Amino acid sequence: MASIEYLILFLVGAALLAYLLSKFNKTAASIFTIFATMFVFASLAGYGFGMNLVETVNVLPGFTFAQTYLGFYFVIIIVFVYLMVSFFHPYYIDTYKYKDSYNFLFLLSLAGIIGAFYTNNFLQLFFFFELIIWTTMFLIPLGKSREAAVTYFGFSVAGSMSMLLGIFMIFQQSGTFDISAGLAGISGTNAIFVFALFLIASFSKLGAFPLHIWLPIAHGNAPHPFSPVLSGALVKLGAFIGVLALVRIAPATGLFTTINLPIGQYIVAVLGAMSIVFGTLMAIKEDDAKKLLAYSSMSHGGYILVAFSLLDSIALAGGFYHILAHALASAGAFMAIAAVARATGTTKMKELGGMIHKMPITYLAYLVAIISMAGIPPMGGFISKWLIFQAVIDKGLIFIAVAVFFGSIGSFLYVFRPLAALFLGQELTEYKKVKEAPILMLIPTFIIMGLNVYTGVFPAGILKFINNIISELGFVPITITTFEITGYNGILNPAVISLVFGVGILVAFIIFILLKKSKKVTLMDTYTAANFVHDEHLLHYTTDFYAPLERLYEKQSNWMTKFYKALAQKVKDIGKLGKYLFMSRSIGTTVLWIIGIIILLLWGEVL
Amino acid sequence: MILNLLVGLGVALFGFVLQTGLAGFNRKIIGRLQKRHGPKWYQEYLDIFKLLSKKSISHGWIFDFGVIMALGGIIGTAMFMPLTSTFLAFENYDNFFIFVYLLAVGMLGMAMSASGSGNPWASIGVMRALTTMLAYEVPFMIVVLTIIKISGTSSVAGIQLFQQAAGNNWFIIALPLGGIVAVLALMGMLGKKPFETYIAPAEIASGPMVEYGGKQLGMLFILHEISVFIEVSLFVHLFLGGATNIFIFIVKYAAVYTFVNLISNVNGRFKIDQVVKFFYKWPLLMAVTQAVVAIYFGWVI
Amino acid sequence: MKSTKFTPVTKLSKEEVDRKWWEIGDFFRRNSLWMLMYCTGCCAIELPPAMTSAYDMERLGMGPMATPRQADILLVSGYLSLKTLRRLIYTYEQMSEPRFVVALGSCPINGGIYHDSHAVINQLDQYIPVDVYVAGCMPNTESVMNGFVDLMIKIKNKTAVGWKNYHKNFEWYKENQLNSLGEVVVHDEFHQ
Repeated sequence: MASIEYLILFLVGAALLAYLLSKFNKTAASIFTIFATMFVFASLAGYGFGMNLVETVNVLPGFTFAQTYLGFYFVIIIVFVYLMVSFFHPYYIDTYKYKDSYNFLFLLSLAGIIGAFYTNNFLQLFFFFELIIWTTMFLIPLGKSREAAVTYFGFSVAGSMSMLLGIFMIFQQSGTFDISAGLAGISGTNAIFVFALFLIASFSKLGAFPLHIWLPIAHGNAPHPFSPVLSGALVKLGAFIGVLALVRIAPATGLFTTINLPIGQYIVAVLGAMSIVFGTLMAIKEDDAKKLLAYSSMSHGGYILVAFSLLDSIALAGGFYHILAHALASAGAFMAIAAVARATGTTKMKELGGMIHKMPITYLAYLVAIISMAGIPPMGGFISKWLIFQAVIDKGLIFIAVAVFFGSIGSFLYVFRPLAALFLGQELTEYKKVKEAPILMLIPTFIIMGLNVYTGVFPAGILKFINNIISELGFVPITITTFEITGYNGILNPAVISLVFGVGILVAFIIFILLKKSKKVTLMDTYTAANFVHDEHLLHYTTDFYAPLERLYEKQSNWMTKFYKALAQKVKDIGKLGKYLFMSRSIGTTVLWIIGIIILLLWGEVL
Repeated sequence: MILNLLVGLGVALFGFVLQTGLAGFNRKIIGRLQKRHGPKWYQEYLDIFKLLSKKSISHGWIFDFGVIMALGGIIGTAMFMPLTSTFLAFENYDNFFIFVYLLAVGMLGMAMSASGSGNPWASIGVMRALTTMLAYEVPFMIVVLTIIKISGTSSVAGIQLFQQAAGNNWFIIALPLGGIVAVLALMGMLGKKPFETYIAPAEIASGPMVEYGGKQLGMLFILHEISVFIEVSLFVHLFLGGATNIFIFIVKYAAVYTFVNLISNVNGRFKIDQVVKFFYKWPLLMAVTQAVVAIYFGWVI
Repeated sequence: MKSTKFTPVTKLSKEEVDRKWWEIGDFFRRNSLWMLMYCTGCCAIELPPAMTSAYDMERLGMGPMATPRQADILLVSGYLSLKTLRRLIYTYEQMSEPRFVVALGSCPINGGIYHDSHAVINQLDQYIPVDVYVAGCMPNTESVMNGFVDLMIKIKNKTAVGWKNYHKNFEWYKENQLNSLGEVVVHDEFHQ
C-alpha cells in the first residue's frame, strides 16, 4: 500500500540522494531521477484511482492529508508530465551552470506538488505552495537570467501573500484551518473578500490577464526540459486555487439578471476572455518559439478561467478536460522545441529552417501537439473546446463568445508559425549536420503523441472520471455513453469523426496512388520567376511572419509592460521618499523620529 | 456504419459533381456578362482531369502527405453534410462546429504542404489565407451563435427543420443584419474578390499553389470544389431554410453561388490589412447588434 | 475547327496509337490548355486581344496561369536575347510534362528583323523543341488563334511530341545551349 506521506518523504530523500550522486556522476543522477519519478507515478496510478492511498500520518508532525477526486486529477496529470520530462535530463544536464542542484530541485518541487494537492489544511497548502515556488524559482534561471527569477518570484509571492491573507480571514470567521470546513463556514462580505484574494493568487499562478508579465520571461529563460513542466503543470496550481474560489466559495454577489450569472463570476469570465485575446495577439507577434508557447499558455489559462466561472456542469467538464488536453499538448510542443534547441542551439525562429528533413519524428510530435492546441478534431483539444462552446452559447454570453471564438481561430495563426518557419521551408546550410533526437528522448515523445490522439478519439473513460469530480463539487454530472457526449444543443461522437476522417484520407490516398508518379526535385529548384538564386536564406520566409496583421496593433502591444514598469518605478520612488525622511544625514532628524515614535508607542492611546 | 460511410461518400461525390458543373456554368455566365462566349459548361471537369493526367514534380514526403491529408479532411467534412432536411449520412452527428473545424484540418494540410515546398510565396499565401480566416470567422460565428440559441439545436438538419416549421421565417429574413454579415463572410470563405488575397495571382504568384503541378494541383482543385460545396450548402441550410427535396436544394444552391459570383466579378481585390479592418468594423458590429437584439430583446421577425 | 494552313497535317499510323487512355488524356489535354503568362518580346502585344473579349481564348478552354509548374504551354513571343534565353530554358525545364512550346513571330523562326544582331539568337529550335510556329511580324490576332487551334489538332493527332524529343536528344540540345550561352544557370557576383 502506498502512503501519501511516505511518498513525500521518499521524494525528499531521493532529492538529497540525487544531489550527492551528481557530485560524482551527473548522468547517473539523472537516470536515478527518472526511476524515482517512475516509482512515484506508478504508486499514484496504481492506488490513487480507487482512492486507496493511505492517509494516516506517522512521521511528519501536524500534517493531515485527505484524498479528493479533484486533487487526484491534478496530481496524476502533473506527475505524468514530470515523468515524461525526466527522460530528457541526461541529455541537457551538461548545459547548465549549476549542474548538481537541478535534479535536487526537480524532485523537491515534485514533493511539494503531491503535498499541495492532497493536503486538508490551509496552512499546509500555503507551506507546500511556497515550497513549490521557492524550488522552481531557483530552477528557472539556473544562473542565467536574474530578471526571470525576480519577475517570477515577485508575481508568485504577491499571489501567495494574498492567499495567506484570505486564509487568515477564513480562520477569523470560521475558526478552523481545515479546507472543507473553512470553505463551508464563510459567508457575507468576508466571502467576497476571500473570493477576490484567492482569485489574485489564482491569476498570478495561471498568468491570466492583469498578472501575465512573468510568463514569457520565465518560460523563455527556463531550461529547455523544464518549460513543459512550467507550462503544462505548474500553471494548473492556479487553476486549482481558481476552482476553490469560483466553485466552492461562489459568493452571492448581485445577480446579472440577463444572463443569470453572479457579477463576481462574470467579472472573472471577462478577465479570462481578455487574457484569451491578449495571449493570442501577443503570440502572433512573437519570434522566439518558447515565448510564443508561453503566450499560448496564457491564452489557454483564459479558457480554463472562462470555463470555471460559468457555474455549469458542461462548462466544468470542459474546463477539466481542457486542463488535461492543454497539459499534454503544451508538453508535446515544448518537448519538440527542446529537441530542436538541443540539436541547433537556438529557439529563435528567424535563424532556423527546414528541420523536418532531419528530424521527422520531432516534426510529427509537434504537429499532433498543435492540432490539439488549436482545437481541431480528431485530437483532444476539440472536445474541451466543444464543451466550452456549448456552455457559452447556452448561457447566451455574446462578448465572451467573441473572445472565445477569436482565441480559437487565432490559435491557428500562432501555432502555424513555428511549423512553417522552423520545420518547413528551405533547409539552411548551417544545419546540414543535424541529427534526429536520441531514442531516450523519443520515448516520451511517442507516448505523448499517442495520448493526444487517445484523448481525442475515446474521451468517455476520462469524462466518466471527471463526472466524479463534478458530483463532488455539487453539480449534476454530464450525460455520456461509450461513444457520445450530450451537450445542450447537440451530440458529439468523436469516434465517428475520427473514423470519417480516416475514410476520407483513405479515399484521397487511393486517388493519389493510382495516378502517375512524380519526379523528385530539390528544394532550391523552385519558382523564382526565373531568377537564379543560390542562397537558401533568400528563399526562406520567417521574419515578421504576420507583418500585415501585426502592423494593426503594434503600437498598443506594450501598454501592460509599460504599466508594470511605471508601477515598479513608483514603488522605488516611495522607497526613496522613505529613505529621505527616515534615514537622513543629520543626526537631529533621526533623534526626533526616535523620540516621536517612543512617545507614540507609550502614550499613543491618550492622544 | 458501413452503409452510413458509403452514403457519406455518395454525398461527397454528388457535391463535387454539382459544384464542378455549376462552376463551369458560371464561367459561361461571366463570359456572357463580358460580351463574349464563355467556355463550355463542362470546362472545369476538363481542367481537373487534365491536371490529374500530367506528370509533375514533388519536393519531399511532406509535400505529398499534406495534400492527401487536406483532401482527406475535406472529403470527411463533406460526408457529414445533409443534402435535404431528412437525407444525411450520419443522423444527429452533423454539428455545426464539426464543419468549421474539419475545414480547418483541410486548410492545415494544404498549408503544411505548401510551406514544405520551400517557396516563400507559398508561405506568404498561407499567411494571408490564415489572416483572412481570422477576419471572417468571428462575425460569422456570432451570427451562428444567435441562430443556435434561437433554434435550440446546433445540428444543421435540426436548424433546417426549425426554419421549415410553420410560423417561422427563413433566418435570412428573421435576422436581416445577420444575413448580410453571413453573405459577406461567405464571400470571404469562398475566396472571391474582394477577399481573394490568398491566391492573388499577380501579387504573390498564386500563393500556396505556386509549386504544384499535375496530380497535386488536381487534388487541390478537387479540394477547392468540395469546400465550396460545403460552404455554400451551409449557407443554404442555415439561412435559406434548407430544402425538403433535392431539386429545391439545387435551385437554392445555384442561386446563392451565382449571386456571390456576380458580386465578386465587379470588384477589385483588397490588401490583407484592409480585409481585417473591414471585417472587424461594420460586420462585427452588425453581428453583435443582431445577437443582442435577438437574444436579449427577443425581436425576431 | 478547321485550320487555314495549305499543307495537310501528318497522321500517325494505327499501331502507334494503341493506348486508349492516352487518347482520353489527349482529349482533356487539348481542350484545357493553360499558358504561362511569359511575354518575351514585342509580339506579346497580340496576347491581350486574344485573352479578352475581342478574340476570347477562353472558349477554346485556354487560360493564363501564374507559374511554370502549373502551365502547359510556354508562349515564346518575339525575339530572344541571350539573357532571356537562359531564363527561358530554366523555365522550360521547370514545367510539368506534357508541355508544349508555341513560337509567335518571325524571330524564333530565323531571327526576323534582328537576324544580324550580336545579342539575339536566330533559331529557337536548336535550343528547345518548338511545336507550332506562327509567322508574321507581328502576326494578326486571328493568326495567333489559328496557331492555338493548330496546336490542338496536333495534340489530337499525337504529333505534338516536342517534350519527348527534348528527352531523346537531350545532349544535342545541351551542347547547342552551352555553345551559345556559356552556362545556363548563372553563378556570378549578382547571383551569389
